[in-house]
Amino acid sequence: MAHEVRTPPLQSATVAAGQSVVSPSLMDRVDAALEGLWHLLTSMRVAMVLMIVLAALCVIGSLVIQIPTGTGDDPLAKSQWLDGIRPRFGGWTTVMDALGLFDIFNSVVFRVLVAALTISLIACSVHRIPGALRTATKPRVDVGPGFFEHAPQREQIVVHGTAADTLATVRSVLKKRRYRVLAEDDGTIHLYGDRYRFMAFASLAGHISLVLILLGAIIGTSFGFKNQYFVVPEGSTVLTGTEDGLSLKLIDFTDSYNVTNGAPSDYTSQVVLLKNGQQVAAQTIRVNEPLSYDGATYYQRAFGPAVVMTIKDAAGKTVYSEGMPLDGSSTDGSNRSAGSLTLPGTGDLINVFATNGTSDTTIQPGQVQVILYAGGANTATDAKVFDQGKAQALGSYSVTFDREAKYTVLSISKDPGQLLVWLGALLLFGGFTLVFLLPQRRVWARISTRGAMSVLSVASLGRRDVALGTDFEDLITDIRAALQAPAPA
Amino acid sequence: MEKLSWYFVIASMLWTAIATALYLVYALSGLRATRMRTAGMETTTSSLGFASGPRTAAIGSYASIVGWLATATLFFALLFRAIATGHGPFQNMYEFSLAFALGVLVSYMYFERKYHQRVLALIAMPVALVMMLYAWTIPSTIEPLVPALQNNLLLTVHVAVAIIAYGSFAIAFGAALLYSIQPEGGRWGLPKPQVLDEIGYRAVVVGYPFLTLTIILGAVWANTAWGTYWSWDPKETASLVTWLIYGAYLHARVVRGWRGQRAAWLLILGFAAVLFTYFGNLFFGGLHSYSGLQ
Ligand code: HEM
Repeated sequence: MAHEVRTPPLQSATVAAGQSVVSPSLMDRVDAALEGLWHLLTSMRVAMVLMIVLAALCVIGSLVIQIPTGTGDDPLAKSQWLDGIRPRFGGWTTVMDALGLFDIFNSVVFRVLVAALTISLIACSVHRIPGALRTATKPRVDVGPGFFEHAPQREQIVVHGTAADTLATVRSVLKKRRYRVLAEDDGTIHLYGDRYRFMAFASLAGHISLVLILLGAIIGTSFGFKNQYFVVPEGSTVLTGTEDGLSLKLIDFTDSYNVTNGAPSDYTSQVVLLKNGQQVAAQTIRVNEPLSYDGATYYQRAFGPAVVMTIKDAAGKTVYSEGMPLDGSSTDGSNRSAGSLTLPGTGDLINVFATNGTSDTTIQPGQVQVILYAGGANTATDAKVFDQGKAQALGSYSVTFDREAKYTVLSISKDPGQLLVWLGALLLFGGFTLVFLLPQRRVWARISTRGAMSVLSVASLGRRDVALGTDFEDLITDIRAALQAPAPA
Repeated sequence: MEKLSWYFVIASMLWTAIATALYLVYALSGLRATRMRTAGMETTTSSLGFASGPRTAAIGSYASIVGWLATATLFFALLFRAIATGHGPFQNMYEFSLAFALGVLVSYMYFERKYHQRVLALIAMPVALVMMLYAWTIPSTIEPLVPALQNNLLLTVHVAVAIIAYGSFAIAFGAALLYSIQPEGGRWGLPKPQVLDEIGYRAVVVGYPFLTLTIILGAVWANTAWGTYWSWDPKETASLVTWLIYGAYLHARVVRGWRGQRAAWLLILGFAAVLFTYFGNLFFGGLHSYSGLQ
C-alpha cells in the first residue's frame, strides 16, 4: 500500500502544551485516511474486484427464483410466496430468505456494491479529467532519456543528416498520418505526436454514462408512476391514476390464435383516453405497440373474462350496469373465475362465478352464478345461476346477466428518468465504441546530434497492445522509408 | 425454402468438419516443423511465431478456403430460413444456435484474415460445429410468432449484434485457452503467448461494444413490449454478468499483476458467462416466464 500513515512532525514541549483541541497527528491521520480512500476509489484494481463480485451476485440472482417486485414489501404476500416455493428449497427456504437470496437486487450487499462502484466511477472520472485535459492541450514533450530505453515500444535509428533535417522528415511523416506534432529544442530535439487526442473524453463519457443510467433508474423509481395491473372490462371507463380526470375506456379486447398450433397470435385492446369526459387519444394497443399520452405509456399486459351485469334495486333503479372483470378465482378448489363487487352505498357484496368448463354441472357454459351477501354478511343471503339475458330476483335486487365480455390488463408507467437512461445508453455505446475504433495514439521522439549524424529515438506507450502489426510498427516503417528517400532536388 | 435451408445447414456442418480436420493437419504439420527446426533442419517461422514446414502453408490455405465455404453455406442457410419464416433467427433455440455458429465462423474468419493465426481454428471450428450439431437435436418447426416477438426489425438487429459479440468472445476464449496451456516463452509451435494475449484483447474490443448494444436493444424491446427497460429477468441478468466480466477484463489488461494469465482466466470465465446466458433458458426455465401475458 502506497499510503502509510505519516509520522507526525516532532514538536517542542512548549508548543505541545498549548494545544488542546485537535492534535496535528490526528489531522494527519484523517488526511492520510482520506487519501487512502481516494486511492481505493480511483484504483482500477478495486473497480475490477467490485465488478466481479457484482457479477457473482447477479449469477445467484439469475439462478435462484426472485420474489416479484412489490411482493417483498407486503409481509403477508411475502410469506405466501415463500410457502409457494418451500417445496423446492425445503428447510433452506428460511435460511435463503434471511440471506436475502430471494431478493438479491434489493439486498443491502448489492446496493452497497452498486453505490461503491458508482462512487468509484465518479472518483475515477474526476481523477482522470486533469490528465485528459493536459494531454489534449499541453502534453509533455520532453519525457527524459530513460523513457526511450524502457518504453514497451521503442526504436532507435541512426540517420545520416542533421538533426533539423531529421526532425523535418519525422514531422512530415507524422503529419501525413494526421498526427498533431509538437517539438522543443534544448540542444536535443524533443518531439511529441498524437492522434485522436480527445478520445480520453470519449472514455470519460462512457464511464459517466453509467452514472447517468443509474441516476435515471433512481429518478424513475422515486418519482415515476407505475401500475402494473390496471384492469378495464370491455365497455367500462376507469380512472388511470396518472393525472386528474384522465380515464381510459376499453371499447374492445380481442385475443387471436393461430389455427395451426393454437398459439396466441395477437392481443389487441381498442381504447380511448378521456380527459374530463373529452376524448384525447385513441389507439389499438398491442404487445409491441403501447399507447403514449402526456408522459405516460400504456402497455398490453394480460386479459381475462368479464361479465356485463345489470342490477336494479327494489325501487327499480339501476345501481350497476357495467362489465365486471372475473379476475379472481374461487377459493373452494373448483377453479372457477370469479369477480366481486360491493354495491355502492349499501355494503351489499356480490360475487360472480363463471363455469370452469363443460364438465361443470353447477354452472354450465353460458351461465354465471351470482351470490349476494347482504350487508357484507358472512353467509350468503341468496345465490342463483343465471342464463344470459333473463332477469331474476336476487335478495331484494333484480339482476340480469347481459352478456359475456373480456377485460384487459394494461400496465401503465410514467418514468421521468427514462430520458436520462436512454441518453446514458447512447453515451455508453458511443463513448466506448469510439475509444475502441479510434484509439488515442501517442509517440515521443528525441533527436540528438552525433558528429555528422543524428540519432533518432522513437517510443510509444502501447499499454494495450504491442505484438501484432501495430500502428507503431507502421509508423517506424514509414519513417525509415522517408529518411532513406533521396532529398528532393 | 425451409428444406433448402436445412440442406445448407447439413452442408455447412460437413464443411466445418472438413475444415476442422484440415486445420488440425495444418497444426500438426506446424508442430512437425517445430521439431525439425529443433533438430536443426530448414524451416520458416512467421514473424508472429508459428513455425511452418514445406507443405504447411498449402494445407493452411486449403483449410481457410473450406472455412469460408462453411461460413458462406451457413449464411445462406440462415438467409433461406429467414425468407421462409419472414423474420430473423430469434424465434427458437434452433435458429439462435445456428446464428451463434455463424457468429463464431464469421469472427474466426475475420480474425484469421487479420492476424493469420490459424491455430485458433482448432477451438473456433469445433465450437461452431457443436452449436450446429446441437441445433440438429432440437425441434426446428417454424411457428408463427407470439405477440411479444412481433417486433421484427428490432429483434433481428438485437440477435445479429448478439451473435457478433458471442462470436468474438469465442475467439477471445480460444486465444485465452491456447495462452493458458503454454508455459512462458511458448511451446508446440503455438503462437507466442504475447500474440495470443493481444488477439484475445482485440476480439474483446470488437465484442464489447456489440454486447453493450445487444443489452441496450434488449432493454429498448422490453420497454416497448412490457413497459420496463430492466426487470432483472434471468436472461437480462446473465447478460449483465457477461458484460461485467468483460468490463473487468478490459481493465485487467492495463493493471499490473492482472495482465497475462489472470486476464486469460477472465476471458475463459467470460465465455462461460456467454454460454450461461445463451443456454440460460434451459436452467432458468420455468422460474421466470418469458411472455408477459399469462
Ligand atoms: C461498471 C463499471 C465500468 C465499466 C463498464 C468500465 C468500462 C471500461 C471500458 C470498456 C474501458 C476500455 C475503453 C477505454 O479505454 O476507455 C475502460 C477503461 C478504463 N477504465 Fe473503466 N469501466 C468501469 C469502471 C471503472 C472504474 C470504477 C474505474 C476507476 C477505478 C475505471 C477506470 C478506467 C480507466 C483508467 C480506463 C482506461 C484504461 C486504459 O488505459 O486502457 N473504470 N473501462
